Amino acid sequence: MKYGLISDIHGNLEALTAVLRDIEKQKVDSVHCLGDVVGYGADPARCLKMVKKQCDTVLMGNHDYAAIGVQPYDSFNRAAQAATEWTRQVLDDKSMAIIADFEMERSLDDMYLVHASPYEPEEWHYILTENDADEAFSHLSQNIGFFGHSHIPTIIQEKSDGTTRMQAGHDVSPDRERRYLINIGSVGQPRDNDPRACYVIFDSDEYEIEFHRVEYDIENAQRKMSEARLPSNLISRLSAGT
Amino acid sequence: MPEITVKYEDKVIERVVTEKKRISIGRGNDNDIVLENRGVSRKHALIEFNDKAAVLIDNESLNGTFVNSRKVSEEVLRDQDIITIGKYSLIYNTETSQEGSDPASYDGTMVLNTRQQKKLLENDRIERKIVEKYGGSVLLGMENADFSEYRLDREVSTVGKAKFVHIRAKGFFLSGIQAKIVKEGQVFSIVNLGKQGKLKVNGEPTTQSVLKNGDLITVGKTVFKFVEGKN
Repeated sequence: MKYGLISDIHGNLEALTAVLRDIEKQKVDSVHCLGDVVGYGADPARCLKMVKKQCDTVLMGNHDYAAIGVQPYDSFNRAAQAATEWTRQVLDDKSMAIIADFEMERSLDDMYLVHASPYEPEEWHYILTENDADEAFSHLSQNIGFFGHSHIPTIIQEKSDGTTRMQAGHDVSPDRERRYLINIGSVGQPRDNDPRACYVIFDSDEYEIEFHRVEYDIENAQRKMSEARLPSNLISRLSAGT
Repeated sequence: MPEITVKYEDKVIERVVTEKKRISIGRGNDNDIVLENRGVSRKHALIEFNDKAAVLIDNESLNGTFVNSRKVSEEVLRDQDIITIGKYSLIYNTETSQEGSDPASYDGTMVLNTRQQKKLLENDRIERKIVEKYGGSVLLGMENADFSEYRLDREVSTVGKAKFVHIRAKGFFLSGIQAKIVKEGQVFSIVNLGKQGKLKVNGEPTTQSVLKNGDLITVGKTVFKFVEGKN
């Protein structure tokens, strides 16, 4: 099976549209979204509609959770708080109901999908260090887990001695004898100094993972954010990919 | 202007609109609201109005005064609160309203020994024990619930069919998170998040309701009762 995996769209319709068009060319069997469809960007409602229509799975992210008022967002930074406030104001009941149906995690064949970490998914733990990765692997029962949340494409391999090795995201043919956690990067707000939208294709038969980068109309996304008076640092970071 | 609808066994018998600062309720004819039943004490209860609130005070009545099924001695009334005195229900409405039930004190007042009165007192006793145990408001699982008691100690508790919600509910076409119960100080509200029409409070579909003691919350096929933890 060939899976298209996307995450962290954050209301960026231009990036999402470009990515879904690119995935269409890859002839995948299904598309799965690992959460944070909203927050930051100017088109949360249209992004929600699009993922609901085109993705087989949509998982809950912490920004989605905050948008429906289930998660307090006082721990978010100031810009994220402002964007969350704005998102909560513009989403209508129908959009809220789409989010209310998101799943927290999903297992598909030997693949596990989650927004943040297999360890307490609804606590949104980041996997940034080897310790975080150890904790995450100890709660992963499949061979390969895909996640998002930090917007940094990463490959984490569990080594035979139980330690982990972290590398920046790149095309790999994983060792079938090892377990992996893969951060699939962000569609709508990449933070690895590459402003292009990021997504992953996983071919479970060939056992290959490809990271794809897609150019999109960043200026238009930024223009709409300006019109919505969203915080300026959220707008400028899109062109820098930070 | 506040209005009190007096009902006797579900039949509206009187609507009282008042500008007074204090109204008395009892069996005696000198009361503002006269409840002519021997289960009602002569001077059963009072409602005092000030600029901010209406306060119901039970006058140490023999058979007790209940607000939304909970026995009270003194209680700040909220819109649509149901005061039960014997077989009378008095519905308090801040503007214009309706409802009715039973009475008490041994100035010739008869001790009520009906099944309904016993049940009311027994339920009140059990529910007080539960909230005492949890130290706050709780939801009781009444029908199709996973548990019989749920403590409401979070700022936000989620209700729905998803595995990760705090309070699971059952039913076709329910949303993963159908609703959230939000705690603000001592006040709890329930807000619909999922598909429309799947959340009801006391049988009425709602999108958002402030919860009162005794409210029955229906989410899909699952029914909960809200029991307020204060007092």
